[in-house]
Amino acid sequence: MLAIAWFTFSFPDFQYAFLSILLEGLPFLLGGAILSGLLEEFLPQSLMTRLLPKNPRVAIVVSGLLGVIFPVCECGIVPVVRRLLKKGLPVSCGVTYMLAAPIVNPLVILSTLAAFRGQGAWEMTILRFGLGLSVAILAGWVVSYCSPASILRPGLLSPDHDHDHHHGGSGGMLDRLQNASLVATKDFLDVAVFFVIGAAAASLFSTAVNQEIILPLAANPPLAIVSLMGLASVLSVCSTTDAFIAATLTTFPMAAKLAFLVFGPMLDFKLLFLYGAAFSKRFIIVLALGLFVVIGLLCWRLSTLNLAW
Amino acid sequence: MNHSDTASFSIKGLRDSLLLLLWGGFVLWLSFSGQLSIYLHPSLQPYTTASGVVFLLLSIFGFSSVFPLSRHTYKHKHHECGCDHHPLGEQHGLHGHGHGETESHEHHHHGTGGGVGAMIFKTILLLLPLAIIVSGKATAYSITTVQNRGVVDNINNLPSAKAGASASPASSSASKSLALATPSNTSLNNPSTDQVTNATPSDQTSYSGGPMPLQVIDMLYAVQMPSYRGEFEGKDVEIVGQYVPMTTGNPKGDRFQAIRMFITCCAADAKPVGVTVQYPKPIKVSEMGWLKITGKPTFPMEGGRRTAVLEATKVEECPAPSEPFVY
Repeated sequence: MLAIAWFTFSFPDFQYAFLSILLEGLPFLLGGAILSGLLEEFLPQSLMTRLLPKNPRVAIVVSGLLGVIFPVCECGIVPVVRRLLKKGLPVSCGVTYMLAAPIVNPLVILSTLAAFRGQGAWEMTILRFGLGLSVAILAGWVVSYCSPASILRPGLLSPDHDHDHHHGGSGGMLDRLQNASLVATKDFLDVAVFFVIGAAAASLFSTAVNQEIILPLAANPPLAIVSLMGLASVLSVCSTTDAFIAATLTTFPMAAKLAFLVFGPMLDFKLLFLYGAAFSKRFIIVLALGLFVVIGLLCWRLSTLNLAW
Repeated sequence: MNHSDTASFSIKGLRDSLLLLLWGGFVLWLSFSGQLSIYLHPSLQPYTTASGVVFLLLSIFGFSSVFPLSRHTYKHKHHECGCDHHPLGEQHGLHGHGHGETESHEHHHHGTGGGVGAMIFKTILLLLPLAIIVSGKATAYSITTVQNRGVVDNINNLPSAKAGASASPASSSASKSLALATPSNTSLNNPSTDQVTNATPSDQTSYSGGPMPLQVIDMLYAVQMPSYRGEFEGKDVEIVGQYVPMTTGNPKGDRFQAIRMFITCCAADAKPVGVTVQYPKPIKVSEMGWLKITGKPTFPMEGGRRTAVLEATKVEECPAPSEPFVY
């Protein structure tokens, strides 16, 4: 066992948390991969561009709201976005959808309402939705000015024909389902590699770091916000349940809890690695820093408004 | 497509199918052997079990693709193939087939990068979780994680508990268990409740005038709810929990904590929930060992706030309950 003041590592505990995160996330990751396979086989390539508004900025806003009617949690979103990008979804829209979907998801809205009952539930839910959507749209707008080559993982848009596909829908339904399953398998295994690494990182920090070290920071709003964003990354909790954990951080100001609820689903430790399945390392680092600064500043600004919550 | 491409594809397809077969097999084995409950909240277990079935189905599709019963062969040109020729990619020069094949090809397989080394690395990485499952060592937390997370002894600091307690006791899981533990509800005639069953597997037959089976979490709820406190304050109760020595707030050295792990989703978010036990005799069990404690609950004011202290009359080692968590 390795032990220093705030870091005490136990390998069996790490393994236990690691398996737990994997077993919890697997169905959602697999669900995303299945959806990806179905999209590949059954969604005509032109449909995406036809459905999206012609105005790029409006398209980004619509992509942000797509998560309300097309909900996917943060584990399942990466294979879906990868596939949508391959299908022709603009990168800016893909990034917006990916960041917003785990927050604007109806299940997440309901769980936030339930968790903060008696603690300004409506205010927290509306602010979480609004701030999450706004930050995602902002990220999409910034991305729209960048070259896709600098954002996407090299080779992402290259065709991946690691399967015996039957083109043009000429096969029967069973053939098409088989094609969809092969795409789903490939996408799942591609993303699962990053998920395994992300789960390992999250497990390491969630079991080895003494979580009580952040308690003294609660009295200082900027530090409280930063520390809870860090905690959200460390814990890597699913966005459908993170509100229940945030609600118990009673010594922390509401703005810090809001930062926890917005930053976590966009960029926790496991996502940091999962995004590697679709985006370049440089983009992920810039995205992480950008989200950290923007969400931190916005929440800090909210904390100075003395809102009645 | 040359022969090496075919071989590479077959190996990769075979590897993918085998991996899915193994993952599906292990997930279903965990499910049907009841071991999934060591890792996940009951509400999430069906999804993971279903994913095991889907893994197997995908594996079957994969094997049928690697070893097809009848082989479709047809030729086409790229512009006819309907492949992922991404408009943005082409626009920005991202896209190129790059597989060095002629325009006309048969079952083409574009290279996706990553050679044999990368494939082996990924395969090892994807087999790693299965190896951990096989090792059977990752089944519970040690005292290290309990200390790193801190023991919760205030129900308001427990995920999802505060709202339930303040708004509607009857709607919270803990109050449910509390209600079940009251004399009017907990009896041999009603042993089917999860909370009572999970807390003390051996208690189902022992509660008929004997000590009342309680959960650690019940005592924490009772601290906040005087009406419930009255149901068992001063009566003989029995609690099952894991032994954690008290290093602070224990001047006489006669106290320890009995903890249970409370989970929201999975064991990764588990929070230790504990109640203080006062027992003058030495405890002969290792840290995190399971104890069955009999005693009388008290709710004294300590350090300016009301706390729960179980004054134990009997402490004995017991096997771990089949479901180690409280929810």
